[in-house]
Order: sequence, then C-alpha cells, then structure tokens
Amino acid sequence: MNGLAALFRRFFLVELFAGMWITIKNHFRPHITIEYPREKPDLAPRFRGVPRLRRDPETAEELCIGCLLCEQICPDDCISIVVDKRPGGKGKMAKSFIIDYERCCFCGLCVDPCPTTPITAIYMSHDYELSDYSRQEFITQRAALVDGHPIKRYEK
Amino acid sequence: MDTRLLIENVLIPAIKVGVVLGVMSGAIAYTTLLERKVLGFIQLRLAPRRVGFHGILQPIADGIKLLLKEDIIPDRADRALFILAPVISVIPAFAALAVIPFAGHSFEMFGHKITPWITDVNIGILYILSISSLGVYGIMLGGWASNSKYPLLGSLRSAAQMVSYEVPLGLAIIGPLMMAGTASMTGIVRAQERLGMWFVFPQIVGLFCYFVSGIAETNRLPFDLPEAEAELVAGYQTEYSGMKFAFFYLAEYTNMVVVSAIATTLWLGGWLRPFPNVEALSFLNFLDFISPALSGVFWFAFKVFAVLYLYIWIRGTFPRYRYDQLMNLGWKWLLPISLANVVVTALVLVLKQRAGG
Repeated sequence: MNGLAALFRRFFLVELFAGMWITIKNHFRPHITIEYPREKPDLAPRFRGVPRLRRDPETAEELCIGCLLCEQICPDDCISIVVDKRPGGKGKMAKSFIIDYERCCFCGLCVDPCPTTPITAIYMSHDYELSDYSRQEFITQRAALVDGHPIKRYEK
Repeated sequence: MDTRLLIENVLIPAIKVGVVLGVMSGAIAYTTLLERKVLGFIQLRLAPRRVGFHGILQPIADGIKLLLKEDIIPDRADRALFILAPVISVIPAFAALAVIPFAGHSFEMFGHKITPWITDVNIGILYILSISSLGVYGIMLGGWASNSKYPLLGSLRSAAQMVSYEVPLGLAIIGPLMMAGTASMTGIVRAQERLGMWFVFPQIVGLFCYFVSGIAETNRLPFDLPEAEAELVAGYQTEYSGMKFAFFYLAEYTNMVVVSAIATTLWLGGWLRPFPNVEALSFLNFLDFISPALSGVFWFAFKVFAVLYLYIWIRGTFPRYRYDQLMNLGWKWLLPISLANVVVTALVLVLKQRAGG
C-alpha cells in the first residue's frame, strides 16, 4: 500500500470502522448456542455414542453370532461375552453380553470386525446422555444394550 | 396564594426529582440488560433469557441478588471511607441529571405549568462538568479505603485517566457552546432548532473527541484500565461486595447515561426530531397528538439509547488499550484535535459574523 492510502486509512480510522462492521454483522447473525436439555444438537450420521446391540430388523432375531471378535479387539476390555449354542438352529449366539459403559472409550473398534452382514450386530449408537447414581448401573446387560440405556432424570 | 407558591417551588420540583430518579434507575437497570444482550448477540450467544420472557426480568433478579448478598468490609479497611466511597460516586452521577432537558415543551397538569427538566440554569454544562468530576473521588477513596494493592493501583490509574481525559472532554464541549452562545442545556438545543440542524454536522470532530473521552471518563471498554480484570482482578471494586458493589456499578451506568444525554443534548439535537425545520418530516413527531412534550421525550430517549448502543457496540469490538497507549491517545491526539476544533470553530464563527455584519 502506498503512503498516501495508508495515511488516509489511518486518519479516518478505517480499520476501527472495519472492526465495528464485523461486530454489527455478527449481531444480526443467528446464534450458535444450543439450550441443551431443551434443544438437542444435530448429530452427524457417524457420531459415536455408546456401543449397542441390535436385532435383525425384519425377523427380530439375535444378530450376534458370538464370534468374540469385539471382545478381543476392545482396548479397554469392557466387553464380556458368554457364548452358547443357538437354540433350534445352526451356529452360536451370545448367552450373556455385557458392556461396561464406565470403561468404554467410544473408540468404535468393536464395530469394525463384526462379521454379521448386511448390518453389524454391534453398532455405535447416538446415545450420549449417560448419568446414573451408582457405578453398578453402567455394567449394561444385553436387554439394555438392545433397548438402550435408561436415562435417569433428576427428581426433587 | 402561598400554597400555590409552595406547590410550584417545592412540591413540583420534588416530584420531578422523584420521577427522574425513578425512571432513570429503571432505564439504567435495563441498560445492563441491553448491554448483556447486545454483547451476547455480537458474540453469537443467546444472552440472559431464563428470567422472564427473553430475560426481561434479569435486572430485577440481579438487584435482588445484590441486595441479599453478604456485605463484607475487610478487617483492615478504613470503615468510614469504605462505606462512603460508593455513595460519593453515585451521588454526583445522579446529580448531573438535574439540568438535562428531557423535552422542549412544558405541559399543563392540574393547572400548573410543568417543565420537562428539573432545572434550567444558564451554566448547565459547567454544572455537569464540575459535578461529574467529583465522581473520581468515590473511585479514589474506594481504592484507598480498601487497604489492598489491586484497588489502590486501580484507583490510581483511574484518577490519572479521568484527570487526563477531562481536558479533551471539556474542550470538545466548547464547540457547541460557542455555536449556541449559551451554556444553558435548553438554550443549546434551541440554538440547534434555530440553526435548523443538529450540531453534529458542523461539530463532528468535537463529538468524536467528546465521545472517546466520555468512554474513558466512565471507565468503559476499551478504556477500562481501572478495573482491568486481567491485571488488577477488578480494580477499585475488588474488595467490594453486595450493595456497595452495586452502587459502584450504578454510578458507572448512570455516568454512561449522563454522557449519552450530554452528547444527545449538545450534538444530536436533544428533544428535536431529525431535520427539525423540514415541515415535510413533521410526522416524525407522531406523539404530538398527545403532547409535544411526549414526542420530545421519545426522541430524547431514542437518541440516548442509540448512543448507549454505540457504547456497547464499541465495548464488543475493541480490545483494552495499554496504559501508555491510553495516555498517548489522550494527550497527543485527542487534546490537539479538540483544541484545533475549538480554534477552527472560533475562526469560522468570527468570519461569519464579519461577513454578516
């Protein structure tokens, strides 16, 4: 910038007014605050909440075949599975399936090796509201893994 | 006959003082809400909205909170001065409101003629200047009486800053005074009415100097060095809590309103509508059908709040000045500019007089 223009800009405080223009533009932009308990944020499709189990959406059959791959890959050792024969059919299923949400680090590694097709038996859900009154509550059994961890609300 | 005199000289002024104090306190309380709202919107936040509809009751909640808070007086503080300091800073701030004309036309009520200003003295602006410079004592005493290092440093800064910026502030005011030929607040507005335009057009430089100095005088961002929280915790207010703290805040916001009111009266035409002599725009005084005083009050309040908005807008935009930068700006820039403004205004006025006479 040549000297005269620079002098002009300094004399008429152009930079200061430019700053004020930015703030007044912001004044009329929509706010980005989310009033959380009342409004929920929009989650990305691949948002990683707590891992949960799902059944076959059509037959409502257990999808998990008890291969223990998720248990083995879990870096926190928070998944423990007891395998049993599938009643009245071929193959195996999980007799008990426990995820300790207290230890889960939401890495999503358990989903990657899951061999069931076309959808995985274990998946990263969009649940993130995890709070409870005791640590025991976070050791989640299979029924709660399928239906979702119950959200406890504060009561007066 | 005696009762009439008593009513006109005692009762009506007392009621007017009460009304002005009440309305102004409310306006000041809502200035805090305005400030929090505007700052919030500038920062893409929501600002208070839990208390009442969109936070409309927030100032009242704040007031109740401050009333109920524990009022701590530090052990080694100078008790008398510690209690006196907030009072000393509030009283001059409110006293300055006495000469501000809120509207131009007096109105009749119960057979008495009532003027929409508490008093109209012919040295109004001098009165405001002298009263408002007393406010610095409150801050200095508060810092001194706290017997603590941050308040003391803050009040020293404040004293230096307010004394420095009083000079360009006073010089900037001289421009409109010379153009109006009077120091009475109503007289200045009437001069603008006669001239047919607000003094902001010929005196834009003066308004600029006045406003910058006014921000510094009221210790507002970007010149809030007396309470720079990064350096001084909260400056002179550090040891204060509860209602005394609220009094300091009340004084600060009252000073803001007073500075805005003076800017409105001296430069922005007080109670006059925009382009006061253009008949085609007389619909702007749309409250005239009730009373001309009411439309005057409307325009006065509108302008005051516009200036207050500018205050907050500036606060939301600029970072705090460094101390030496502040002093440089005051003495090396604002003082020469305002002096030059006075000289040029005087020259133009004299030349005009020569040409006219």
